[in-house]
Amino acid sequence: MPRNATSGAGPHDVTMPQLGMAQDAGRIVAWLKAAGDTVAKGDALFEVETDKATMEVEAQASGFLTAITAAEGDDVPVGAVIARISDSAEDDSPAPAPAAVSTSAPDHADDLPKGQPVTMPQLGMAQDSGLLVSWTKNLGDKVAADDILFEVETDKSTMEVPAGMDGYLAATLAEPGEDVPVGATLAIISTDKPDAPTARSATSIPAPSAAKAPPAPAATTPARAEEQPAPKPQPAPAAQDRILASPKARRLALERGLNLNNLVAAGHPQPFHARDLDVLANLPATSPAAATARTATIRLTAEIATEGLTAFAQWAAANHGFTDRDVLLAGMAGASLSQPGIIAIERHGHSRGFAIPADRALSAITRSDDRPDLILRDLRDTALRSVTTGAEGTPVLTLMSGHVGLILTLECSVDQMSAPAAIALLSAFAGRMEHPLRHLL
Amino acid sequence: MREITLSQAVNEAIAEEMRRDPTVFLLGEDVAEAGTPFKVLSGLVEEFGTQRVIDTPISEPGFMGLAVGAAMTGARPIVDLMFGDFIFLVMDQLCNQAAKIHYMSGGKLNVPLVLRTNMGATRRSAAQHSQSLQALVAHIPGLKVAMPSSAYEAKGLMKTAIRDNNPVVIFEDKLMYQDKAPVPEEEYLIPFGVANIKREGTDITLIATSSMVQVAEKAADLLAAEGISAEVIDPRTIVPLDEAALLKSVRKTSRAIVIDEGHQSYGITAEIASRLNEKAFYHLDAPVLRMGAMDVPVPFSPALEDVTVPTPEGVAANARKLCAGDMIHAA
Repeated sequence: MPRNATSGAGPHDVTMPQLGMAQDAGRIVAWLKAAGDTVAKGDALFEVETDKATMEVEAQASGFLTAITAAEGDDVPVGAVIARISDSAEDDSPAPAPAAVSTSAPDHADDLPKGQPVTMPQLGMAQDSGLLVSWTKNLGDKVAADDILFEVETDKSTMEVPAGMDGYLAATLAEPGEDVPVGATLAIISTDKPDAPTARSATSIPAPSAAKAPPAPAATTPARAEEQPAPKPQPAPAAQDRILASPKARRLALERGLNLNNLVAAGHPQPFHARDLDVLANLPATSPAAATARTATIRLTAEIATEGLTAFAQWAAANHGFTDRDVLLAGMAGASLSQPGIIAIERHGHSRGFAIPADRALSAITRSDDRPDLILRDLRDTALRSVTTGAEGTPVLTLMSGHVGLILTLECSVDQMSAPAAIALLSAFAGRMEHPLRHLL
Repeated sequence: MREITLSQAVNEAIAEEMRRDPTVFLLGEDVAEAGTPFKVLSGLVEEFGTQRVIDTPISEPGFMGLAVGAAMTGARPIVDLMFGDFIFLVMDQLCNQAAKIHYMSGGKLNVPLVLRTNMGATRRSAAQHSQSLQALVAHIPGLKVAMPSSAYEAKGLMKTAIRDNNPVVIFEDKLMYQDKAPVPEEEYLIPFGVANIKREGTDITLIATSSMVQVAEKAADLLAAEGISAEVIDPRTIVPLDEAALLKSVRKTSRAIVIDEGHQSYGITAEIASRLNEKAFYHLDAPVLRMGAMDVPVPFSPALEDVTVPTPEGVAANARKLCAGDMIHAA
């Protein structure tokens, strides 16, 4: 009977297992542990003999063996409590009912019909629950002890289970399709015809006998998780819609204490990726003054022919081994800056930085991931013909394909570059791109 | 270092092991006089005789079963399955018997057997001689699966396979038999479960098996010209899989494409992608992509056949999208 409804590591009742299909009792051949002994889950606890075989039964919990109520040589009905595994050697909670005495109706059953409980049988050694497939008797039916009462499915098989006693089916406490822990009360059989037969679902069944871990019908997730603890979920965004962001972007935002909502508010296109966090980190504070500053931007556009650039690139590759065209681009942009600096070339959302040497020599350009002074955004293989993105953290020079040549757009804020400096930069760059040989002069 | 073909590398590996260990023997269709249709085993019957290089009747289940029995009783057979497509014929001997005997005997019996066979399309061999069926056997616990990507791997993995005390299936790409690669003269073995980082990169990881390693490397060249730095990793054995190396790379690059010539659905690529997703999720900046053969019987028409397998251009195009954050509409 369910005599312990507390959760956690309370005492665990040891019951006579059902080791065969037709078995309804077993004889205790020998106790392999004595009262007061410590037992570990999996230890052989006692030996039981049925009409088919003699076998050792393992402890299903760890603790101290207490309250043995069945002696060696006793015949004990299947499901009867014969001992307890407790947290201490001196368990002072009430001893279980004597093994051979059948159990009474569950304690919680004050509003249930009176009668004898029918419990979910243990059909396999390692089974801790069974799926109720169907009831084969109707509520209120008269049943005989060997009438089939219900069908149960375990991970191994499906089988029919007899009522075990004569009477009337007064209550069913689980519905077909429900997974019911071994030992939980499934039905009540009354001696007299019940006045008010009751049907309930298994969710109303209290914890099964003893402190068996709550049954988990759905397999739990295997514990093979990432060694890093998963970050806590992002605080609920202020915006109504879910923010689209990559897992990495979300993790980095959490680690760096950045709020993705600010990117949303800034109108940055979603989904957000890891690189967008740099944009986020550089977002100006959203004060009115800052907003005004952001609007004070410079946008210049130039259009040039491309033949010179193509020819120069081929010549440089063939004669000087400049196969990386980005070096040429960076070199020409760097030479157009008033001071040597870092040029980042962005393409397909990916960025490569180059450090321009003081003498502006193409051969001395090196890779650099330092913060760029100018971003060269290459959109030549897109269909874009014009961009107005507003000033970013760094001046941006955008390359686009026009109908005949290249379209160059420079955008920056007045803080980053004065208007004359911006005009000088774009003019110099456009000149070099159109007539690259000038670069060598 | 000298360069030899993949075919010569396999031949050398088997010859060396047969000299070293008299219990190693070869059997299969056309392995002796013909040296296989791909000439991989030429010359072995001359050195080792017909007792150890055995031409069998055309009966795959028969000689595979024979080999399993021989392996259980002390020999080290190398079974030659002329085309990977014929693996369907030996499924019971391989998956129900060889794979399970060590386990079911409680470790008392071993099955030191190597099944060497091939894979790979674009040879105009049509639907029944062009499949890449490694996923079928990788699914079965108890079988190890090696997929050499060059002559170097073919030799080192074959020698390890022959010395393994339980069944190993080796899939060689039948289009790569004449591909040359540097192979040392001195003896070496390649341990199972150790991936090879073919090329280091920082922006995206291309995980590729067998022939797809070449495809990935060519894609990496295309991407490098555009400033995208791709890392190329060859797991070399898919069972056991060097998961740690793959995870390390993906945690670095945040993006990955898994490429294998087997059909894409329910394949090797899906398994690897799934593991990356489970164990590196918070490091991913883009979805992990799979690229396998199209889910169609391999066409005989050359024009059609060529579009069923991943190409460098296709891999590069997908890598570009991943790096640009352009996958939002992919699903």
